Amino acid sequence: MQRLKWRHLPVEVAEVALGQDADFEEFDVLFLGGGSDREQDIMAADLKSRRDGLGRAIEAGVVVLAICGGYQMLGHFYRTAGGREIPGLSLLDLHTVAGPRRMIGNVALELELPGGVAWAVGFENHSGRTFLGRGVRPLGRVVAGNGNNGSDGWEGARYRNVFCSYLHGPLLPKNPLLADHLLQLALARRGEGQTLSPLDDGLENLANRVMYERVTRAGTRKGPSGRR
Amino acid sequence: MSRVRGTRGSTLPGRVALKICPRFLRLAVRQVRRGVVMVTGTNGKTTTNNMVAGVLESAGYRVIANREGANLVWGVAAAFVAGAGAFGRIKADFATLEVDEASLPVVASHLAPDLLVVTNFFRDQLDRYGELDRTVELVQRAIGKLPLTRLVLNADDPLVAQLGKGENKTLFFGLAQTVRLTATVQTREARFCPACGRELSYAFYHYSQLGDYRCLTCGFARPGAAVEGQAVRGGDRLEFTVRWPAGQTSVSLDLPGYYNVYNALAAFSVGVALGLPEKAMVEGLARFAPAIGRMERFSHRGRPVYLNLVKNPTGFNESLAAMLTGSGTKDVFMAINDNDADGRDISWLWDVDFEALARDPAPYLSFTCAGIRAQDMALRLKYAGVPVELIRVIPGLVEGIEGALAGRGALVYLFSTYTALWRSQAILKEVLARGEEPATGLAERRRALR
Ligand SMILES: [Zn+2]
Repeated sequence: MQRLKWRHLPVEVAEVALGQDADFEEFDVLFLGGGSDREQDIMAADLKSRRDGLGRAIEAGVVVLAICGGYQMLGHFYRTAGGREIPGLSLLDLHTVAGPRRMIGNVALELELPGGVAWAVGFENHSGRTFLGRGVRPLGRVVAGNGNNGSDGWEGARYRNVFCSYLHGPLLPKNPLLADHLLQLALARRGEGQTLSPLDDGLENLANRVMYERVTRAGTRKGPSGRR
Repeated sequence: MSRVRGTRGSTLPGRVALKICPRFLRLAVRQVRRGVVMVTGTNGKTTTNNMVAGVLESAGYRVIANREGANLVWGVAAAFVAGAGAFGRIKADFATLEVDEASLPVVASHLAPDLLVVTNFFRDQLDRYGELDRTVELVQRAIGKLPLTRLVLNADDPLVAQLGKGENKTLFFGLAQTVRLTATVQTREARFCPACGRELSYAFYHYSQLGDYRCLTCGFARPGAAVEGQAVRGGDRLEFTVRWPAGQTSVSLDLPGYYNVYNALAAFSVGVALGLPEKAMVEGLARFAPAIGRMERFSHRGRPVYLNLVKNPTGFNESLAAMLTGSGTKDVFMAINDNDADGRDISWLWDVDFEALARDPAPYLSFTCAGIRAQDMALRLKYAGVPVELIRVIPGLVEGIEGALAGRGALVYLFSTYTALWRSQAILKEVLARGEEPATGLAERRRALR
């Protein structure tokens, strides 16, 4: 939002309350966050009733950013440690399984964006391990940290203009290239294909670079193929 | 190095004592003649506990306390070791101990307190204890195992008030509706009723989720406060009225920060619960000097310099609110670390209302961001709308503090997360002691500080 304001593009933020009517297709960008278990349950119940509307918005190319619990909720199910499967919205081809330990810590990723490879940093804190089906692509390759499940080397998910990730910290301010990519997609959907004017990202890039170097120096995990 | 670390509350003697005799705490507490007070909760533990100690001392009692905030089992044991004379004989009337929420079940099982104060529950570093709900549950279960303990609870916090256990076992304190000194816009931590889960309705609120709440579904509501603060006034010092069943008096505190009224009310309530004379509370609080980094006041070339610990959104918001009440131009220093004790996840900075600084940027001359996450702090300020030209990234604490003190502001505020606090205090003292000394020798002293 700030990145639009700094470019003097008008922006409005609407909070969709529980039970409140909303046509998701009218929005440019939707954000689904996470929360405590209790908040998560409340939100999941609310989203169930909106599943079809959300699905139509996704197919129509609305830009969606889903973090942590919001990410898990878009998949087929969440399997608890006891083996019970809590159904998700099944809007994205992925599922999540409770893991034996929480994956907590800083993460560095390599992302493919239209302009080339970008490096993203953030913090993960999740016990669910998410596995992607054929219908979705990962958001990025884990350079340090755990990512989706700590084993296959991928982080997050992408489908149409939906971006899912376990990274908060939060994700967008420190990763301005990704933020601008989302905005560009949202503008393109409206038929406004102009390129975004460049901003002074000095502090953003500094925060990104310092963390990327620190996290990869202490790197805990290699990439998918075992190479660096 | 050790000199710079200064007098950080050492837990080593505590570790040794517990090693020699695991039942040390149980035995030690038997020698405390009159009673044990414990203070737990998210924010204000150290200040409240020290205020309780001050009130008890004003009443003429000898007190054992972990004054510097070492609040895990070892720190509590260390306080007893420090209070023991020759032959391990402890001569104290009261022990007053701040206890970390997660350590409360263990510590309270060793030394069942006569009084337990719970200040508030706010979201703290998420990756340390899991969720806020879990912390509340921990404390609730610990209380369940203390049938004889009387509770001193914050009536204004629904998460705390729900812990109450019947009239003769619980004393509530709270704040009447008063004009807020300054306001930052904040998200409330608990929008939902702890009893039934529906949204709470507020007649007014002071900050975060503290206020006059009522659940329209199940009737859970703010209990009446037996000890109530009224008519809060002041900026640099605070004045307010306390009303309790047996009287009414005015209290003054020589420190800023609206939240300190709550801490003082908690300490006052302990005095009421123990039947101390009013004079002990009033004098103990008036004489109170804050512990390290709790709006600790220094003086640099005749202007005040405040050092304040920040560790969660509510605490940081209240610190900013205290800064907003200071009149004059300001230089600000913020040291953010992400070591285990600080919380490794610093995303909580995005829940702090730094936007309040941008709403009225005129008094601010500079913001120096330091510590391991200096860059993240700077970025947060930029997103809050603080003019970028005022923001400086200087990761080194020495250079950062020197930079902030080199400003021309009438006031200087230093905010620091836990692991940068003791070094920041030591550096600050060093720089102040250095005074107007010429630049030679500076490099040498800087080396000594590293
Ligand atoms: Zn209720």
